[in-house]
Amino acid sequence: MDKTVQCPQCKNTLSVSGNPGEIVKVTCPSCGNNGKVTFKTLETENNSAIQVFDLRKEYGALVAVNNISFNVKKGEVFAFLGPNGAGKTTTVEMIESIRKPTSGTIHILGRDIKTQFDQVKDKIGILPQEFRSFERLTVRETLIYFSSLYQIQADIDEIIKAMDLKSEENKLYKDLSGGLKQRVGVAIALVNDPEIVFLDEPSTGLDPKARREVWEFIAGLRNKGKTVFLTTHYMEEAEYLADHIAIIHKGSIIAEGSLEELTDKYGEGSILRIKDCKNRDVINTLIEQGLEVFTEGNGDIAVKIAYKERVLEVLAILKRECVDYDSIDISRSNLEEIFLKLTGAKLREAS
Amino acid sequence: MNLKFIKTDLIYAVKGWLRSKGTVFWTILFPILLIMIFGAIFSESGDVSYELVLQDLDGSDESGNFTTFLDETNIFELKNIEEDVDISDYMKEEDISVGLQIPDDFQMMIQQIKFNPMAKVNLTFYHDPSDNTVSPVVRSVLSGLINNYNDMITLSPSVVGMEVKSTLGEDFDFIDFFVPGMIGFTIMTSMVYGSIERNTKLRKDGILRKLLTMPVTRSEWILSKMLFMLFLSFISTFVVIAVGMLVWGLNIQINIFFFIIVICTSFMFSGLGMIVGRFVKEEETADMAGGAITFPMMFLAGTFFPLEQMPEFLQSVAQILPLYYVNEGLRNAMIYLDMDKTLFFTGFVVTFALAFFIVGVLLQKWKED
Repeated sequence: MDKTVQCPQCKNTLSVSGNPGEIVKVTCPSCGNNGKVTFKTLETENNSAIQVFDLRKEYGALVAVNNISFNVKKGEVFAFLGPNGAGKTTTVEMIESIRKPTSGTIHILGRDIKTQFDQVKDKIGILPQEFRSFERLTVRETLIYFSSLYQIQADIDEIIKAMDLKSEENKLYKDLSGGLKQRVGVAIALVNDPEIVFLDEPSTGLDPKARREVWEFIAGLRNKGKTVFLTTHYMEEAEYLADHIAIIHKGSIIAEGSLEELTDKYGEGSILRIKDCKNRDVINTLIEQGLEVFTEGNGDIAVKIAYKERVLEVLAILKRECVDYDSIDISRSNLEEIFLKLTGAKLREAS
Repeated sequence: MNLKFIKTDLIYAVKGWLRSKGTVFWTILFPILLIMIFGAIFSESGDVSYELVLQDLDGSDESGNFTTFLDETNIFELKNIEEDVDISDYMKEEDISVGLQIPDDFQMMIQQIKFNPMAKVNLTFYHDPSDNTVSPVVRSVLSGLINNYNDMITLSPSVVGMEVKSTLGEDFDFIDFFVPGMIGFTIMTSMVYGSIERNTKLRKDGILRKLLTMPVTRSEWILSKMLFMLFLSFISTFVVIAVGMLVWGLNIQINIFFFIIVICTSFMFSGLGMIVGRFVKEEETADMAGGAITFPMMFLAGTFFPLEQMPEFLQSVAQILPLYYVNEGLRNAMIYLDMDKTLFFTGFVVTFALAFFIVGVLLQKWKED
């Protein structure tokens, strides 16, 4: 495998070859600085669908993807979350063998795609970004067309039924709404009954109702045991669908894990809000108990909850002090807050 | 080779094409309109008089009567020349494109009709084939007048006939010249535009990216698309020929060279379209790129007008345009039936086809940078 590294002394970029687990000694040709480059060991877990190691993509001086590594397990929905221009599509297109990486290794179902991509073509289904099919074919014809490319073909009727396209099957693609077109795009990705489905920004440009429909179908894919690699810049989409989330920013993965792991690790915990509280003295009582309390602009009292047992503590205090309030709600840190904390920018602003 | 996919692709491409009224219009009706319009423009007679060189080799009373008959129609401005003058040379010197020669047995044959019903005498019609406007009109007017003259003198429609001779040694009407050019032109436009638009649209729609991840090779894909393009080429070709025959009385010969040239032309201009399509990223620019190639070539390659009517330096330009060889190859194969020239031009067409198509296929790129 190849790895592109930067000399820490003169910032010169070097290309180094080595095998997984190998430590290679390197001398910078520009400044003579000596160093070592470690090639990570390739995990060969049987339940890995996709393994990416030190993947890098350069366009001249621009580093679009900066030596990222991650692992996608079989049967999970893996969300690749980041603002537009973060490197999501470049990464997924390198995994799909549409773009050539500058360096790094990609394995799909245990096969190195650099040399064995033809062997995995039958096992993957892809919805490219902003995909549009043939305008003057009906939905059924479109599915038959793409399915004719494969040796193993899924039952077209079953796909139409599963994607809820029965009433549209004889309509021309050009006459479908945006949501239906995306649904057909997902259906096309399923014509070969793939093990892994790549969906690149599947709900971009859709209205909220259509977006929700697409989410339901993606959730249905997981229920059928498919591995779904989802790229998105919608945090709600990742929160709703993903088992595992990798957040990418400026070509680097800045956080990775399940939603719970990410909120636990990078989130501010939960906030308990006491609305329209008549007894303001309770603020001092809560602070005396070691809780972080602040008053919001509308007068609501917000209590930061570091761990869930403290919720019961707060409720006990409110009951004991006979506090008069209108309502209580608890909200958890979301991905938007995590992204803000990690990058200093809101996800939407970064997009 | 995934024949199942190639078959499916071809069937659905034809289905999709039939569902697009605009595309069907441009493929079928556009050549019909062009051939009707151009045919009408260059075949109309109008209320004008034409200079006609007249050479009376008989010098008899009967030939004198015929000359007076022509003169009194006021259609012709007659230029009488002596018997010993070469009529072709005279026409070239005086820049007159039509002439009529009365043979020396004109009176004798007309008199024989009383005894021999099979007697016949032919006038000789000389014309310059590079003049596409006057020559066909005068020829058809003369035919009508000769019929009238036959009725007048003998009540027999056939005693006086007309034999047509070209001053250039070739014999064809403008429509004969025009139809092969029209075939070359329609194949060129549908192949060039089709290839460029297909490449840019499929790239923009993500279909090329998707195909890259599917079990289909570039050669299978290009082969299936070429079969569809050949289908379009033959449709437009036969539309042009059918209209030419039905409306303008086109007389052509379909032979193996005709098919070779049509097939090679399709590959040639598809290859050219693929080469250009490789560099055209936007769908909006595809039309302009197609126009930039087809329009200059259409006018400079002798599609609608003979090269002889163009300035000499433009005639030299035509020699490097592939459409010129297609046009001339088709004319010689279908109309003039000149096998030497057919082979010569077909050789160029095959060479251009191989060069453009191979380069086009090599330049085809599905992968992104």
